[in-house]
Amino acid sequence: MPANKKHLSPSFHQRFAKITAGFIGGFMIVVTFFLILAHLIDHRVALFTLKFAGFIVWCAFMIIPFLFKNGWKAWAVYLAIILFLSAILYFLIQNSPISISSL
Amino acid sequence: MSNRIYNVLFHTHTVSGLVISVALFVIFFAGSISFFRDDIINWEREQPIKENSQMDIDFNTALDSIAARNNLSGRDITIRQIHQERRVMVSATPSKDTTANEADKSRLFFYHDPATHENYSYFQDFTLGEFIYRLHFFAQIPYPYGYLLSGFVAFFFLFAIVTGVIVHWKKIISNFYVFRPWAKLKTVWTDAHTALGLIGLPFQFIYAVTGAVLIIGSSVMLSPVTSLLYDGNSDKMFEDLSTNVKAFTYMHKPQFYEVDVNELVAKAEQNWEGVYASQVVLQNYGDASMHVIVDVKPENDKQFAGLGQVAYKAATGEVVFERDPYKETTYIAAVQDFLIKLHYGNFGGYPLKIIYFIFGIITCFVIISGVLIWVEARDKKINTPFKRKANQWVAAIFLAISLSMYPVTAFTFSVVKLFKDANDPQPHLLIFKAFFISWLVLSILFSAKKDNYFTNKYSLLSGSLFGFIVPFANGLITGNWIWKTFNEQQLQIFVVDAFWLITSIISLLVFFKLKPKAKQNQPKAVKAEYLAK
Repeated sequence: MPANKKHLSPSFHQRFAKITAGFIGGFMIVVTFFLILAHLIDHRVALFTLKFAGFIVWCAFMIIPFLFKNGWKAWAVYLAIILFLSAILYFLIQNSPISISSL
Repeated sequence: MSNRIYNVLFHTHTVSGLVISVALFVIFFAGSISFFRDDIINWEREQPIKENSQMDIDFNTALDSIAARNNLSGRDITIRQIHQERRVMVSATPSKDTTANEADKSRLFFYHDPATHENYSYFQDFTLGEFIYRLHFFAQIPYPYGYLLSGFVAFFFLFAIVTGVIVHWKKIISNFYVFRPWAKLKTVWTDAHTALGLIGLPFQFIYAVTGAVLIIGSSVMLSPVTSLLYDGNSDKMFEDLSTNVKAFTYMHKPQFYEVDVNELVAKAEQNWEGVYASQVVLQNYGDASMHVIVDVKPENDKQFAGLGQVAYKAATGEVVFERDPYKETTYIAAVQDFLIKLHYGNFGGYPLKIIYFIFGIITCFVIISGVLIWVEARDKKINTPFKRKANQWVAAIFLAISLSMYPVTAFTFSVVKLFKDANDPQPHLLIFKAFFISWLVLSILFSAKKDNYFTNKYSLLSGSLFGFIVPFANGLITGNWIWKTFNEQQLQIFVVDAFWLITSIISLLVFFKLKPKAKQNQPKAVKAEYLAK
């Protein structure tokens, strides 16, 4: 029953790449995505949704890198997504910053 | 799903599950008992209260007695009672008066007993119920490490659940009906793990998500948000995401109002049908801008989540703000209510708590069987003797730590009832010593014995014996014998005694049913015991 070893990535750096891609990269994708959402809809709704739904989405992003054969390719894809989302976020912050009225 | 992906995900399920196993077991065991946190506290203090009598206090007298001992002017005072117990929680912000002295510029927090008008600091108020409740998120480990640890354990539990479901997906129906108690140990553990894992799946998913949200939702998930949108000021963020009525401007005009808070609370409760007060806030106490804000919540059978608010101006008593719990509940307030109710299991009375408790113990069993599958699957000739031995050690230590929690908890209940002094200014020391020292000793003894059958059997026996002592000790010390509390309907005291009596009887029966030679019987018995407990 233990997983067949021939299918597992043997090297440390491959495992490292997959785990960090999911844990760090996945977290960054989730947070930037919801930050973009915060600029488009009521920011409090977006942020509070991030607080609970964020964990479920992050979990999905932690599983995806394991589907890749090469963990560094997973990182490359994740980095591309992060850069793309960050660019949108930067554009939104410059053009329509959130006004936190009650403060 | 390709063979490769199946094996890779299988491995992530195994590794993530193993890494968190001990911590997750402790969380679920302590957490399951925490469903009865309030009962345990009232049992310990001999202060049973009527069900659903929260915030049924005389606010006027309570405030007079609090104000007599503390300078409240310029502060926002919050009175809440989030637990089913006699004492209410009182917290106050630092005074907004810029000329206030140092003592008035610090926060206040204490528990107030409306019956005796005594105030208790957090430590004076500490109880066994609170201890077990806090153990389930590792609050005994210095902040923030304990919180972070338990939060990430919950998150990795979510990861293990999702990968487990993916791996198991194809056989999820067929394997559910497979039960081979007389086969070899590995298949027994596997059948139990998959069947009980599937039964408990919705429950476990809810707890993985809500657990992670409640403990690291703000500190981890929202930390980048804090720095990007709120200049790194988390107080600002909490204020923005708060459900409280916004702050009324402080006017720096000292003015004392004789406010009848009782009447205002009653008025707020009569505003809508089937609501109860959940929080009373006095903003800008002793200032011309003083306001009284009453939060109300719909009862569980009226609406699952909801928050109504009424703000009264102290000077005139007029309503300056009103929010209808049935029509105007904000998204944030609704989500908050959902998360807390789902996690606390406090929306269906004792029947729901008992079901949740059984599911919690089922989850404990899923964790144990998962670890045991791992050991049995690697107990093969292709593995080196050293490796097999090391695996056996891991399992023995894991089982020793996990299973000894049962006798240790029963022991601590007895110790607290027999030896805790109600006037002890540091009651946590006795509880810490009784729990952690006995846990350490038992874990070491069982690990050294390195016999899983022995660990299981004698955890059950000792847990059962200590469990029998609990209702006896309570009767002897306080005179609240179980039949008396039943007749007098002191429900919470009765629940704790009955809980220990029932679990002790069941585990004693299981103990006698265990047969030393027929090792195949062991898993069945463990399962029966855990299901029952």
